[in-house]
Amino acid sequence: MAKCAEVVQDILRGMLRERLVDEVVAFGRGLTGSDILPLFITDEQDIDRIVTTSYCPSSLAKLVARYGDRNKKMAIVVRSCDARGLVEIAKRRQVKPENLYLVGIECYGVVREKRGEVYIFADKMEVDGEMMPLDEAALSPNCRRCEYPVPTMADISCRIEPEGDCLVTVNTEKGKAMLATASVPVQDAPPSDVAAIKERAARWQEKDFGDIKRMEPGERLDYWLSQFDRCIKCYGCRDACPICVCKECCLEPDRGLIKGGEYPPETLFHAVRLTHVGESCVNCGQCEAACPMEIPVSKLYHMLSKEVGSIFNYEPGLDIDSLPPVSMVDEEDLLKTGVDFG
Amino acid sequence: MDTADGKRFEPKILGFLCNWCCYAGADLAGVSRLQYPPNIRAIRVMCSAGADPAYVMKALLGGVDGVFIGGCHPGECHYTSGNYYTRRRVAMLKKLMEILGLEPERLRLEWVSASEGALFAEAIKDFTEKLKSLGPNPLKVKKRPGAVVGVKRS
Ligand code: SF4
Ligand code: SF4
Ligand code: SF4
Ligand code: FES
Repeated sequence: MAKCAEVVQDILRGMLRERLVDEVVAFGRGLTGSDILPLFITDEQDIDRIVTTSYCPSSLAKLVARYGDRNKKMAIVVRSCDARGLVEIAKRRQVKPENLYLVGIECYGVVREKRGEVYIFADKMEVDGEMMPLDEAALSPNCRRCEYPVPTMADISCRIEPEGDCLVTVNTEKGKAMLATASVPVQDAPPSDVAAIKERAARWQEKDFGDIKRMEPGERLDYWLSQFDRCIKCYGCRDACPICVCKECCLEPDRGLIKGGEYPPETLFHAVRLTHVGESCVNCGQCEAACPMEIPVSKLYHMLSKEVGSIFNYEPGLDIDSLPPVSMVDEEDLLKTGVDFG
Repeated sequence: MDTADGKRFEPKILGFLCNWCCYAGADLAGVSRLQYPPNIRAIRVMCSAGADPAYVMKALLGGVDGVFIGGCHPGECHYTSGNYYTRRRVAMLKKLMEILGLEPERLRLEWVSASEGALFAEAIKDFTEKLKSLGPNPLKVKKRPGAVVGVKRS
């Protein structure tokens, strides 16, 4: 296992040393050694605190957008949902993509445990030091629906082999420069085969979304109302969501929707957030992980983004040049005369 | 359709009408004394794109039976492309309504120019009929104030 971390650490150390980047952002051991925290590293010495097998349940994409200095060059260790979140954030001009150097790690799902650790794995998972086959039921729901285990939108992507070896694939020109700084020789590996994961994703999407689609409209409304009823308006989902990067969120009091001195109405709260991020949800599951009331938030947002994506032929987080479909018009719009988009 | 308390169901429609076209069209329908159902409450917006999806949702969650958005015909928007944004947003909103379990037919977009008073009257007539057959907004029936009204912090 250590081998993957070593390779990733080596690449990151090289980038810092050669001044390719000013800062490295990754999860790593805190000062006590037992806690895993997001780290902003500027000193080569701290690189060996970085871990690649255990993740905090929070999005580095959101952290970088909120606390990072966008004029600094940053290397960030990301899963593909983090990378896709960053692509969406870049579209909203909250980070400068030319300053980001993304070191992607293939991720086949995370398990959220009571203690708070989250593991990424290949198709096996580590349980008390032993490699066990992946248990789909234990995966967090958004990961089961995920079609993008390989971070092709990152500059390089690292694959952890079951034996702990690490294979690196270069995705961009920037990625080449990143590998050039590594001190151990790193090979350019062929892309991973994702057919099995795509199949898993299709199966779970059909299950999660199909269950809702098969309900009668009235039943569906009751289902969502009963979910929203539990919402305590802690704003956790908004705070965790990488797409919700607004400095002045309209769900704050006295911005036209919610009166000062009142708790936001639960259904409106989600309806508003759905209209804002629905078409761009990257299914990272951060909202659901943050929710103290166990509301299946990411299922709802992912479902909307899939449905809306099918009208506009849009998939969020993959291509920085394709803009969110309700915030842009293109030439074809001019040719349509009807009131329906399709 | 009749409501539970035995009264005839008259749908309430909230209209977002573009100042440059549909609002004038509605005006024309009025001064030409064209008959159309009095079910619509109009809000004048400077462009159909002023109908923020959040406000459309707020109206629907608050219990209006239908939302009508009237904009300029493609190519005629005063701000060149506002109506194209509106068309995209309406497509998104209809999907959202469907997923939440509200009939997407409760939201209607029409292009009505300032000279099309008759078309406006026709559209409202047709929309009102459609809403009558759909029945009242299920959220109104459920009396769900929590959908849009906040609770005072103590
Ligand atoms: S809505 Fe939830 S799943 Fe979607 S991008 Fe935001 S945090 Fe991730
Ligand atoms: S809810 Fe809307 S306004 Fe608030 S942060 Fe998210 S996208 Fe921005
Ligand atoms: S995290 Fe959960 S409880 Fe908190 S505001 Fe979001 S949905 Fe509501
Ligand atoms: S000005 Fe009428 S739709 Fe834009």
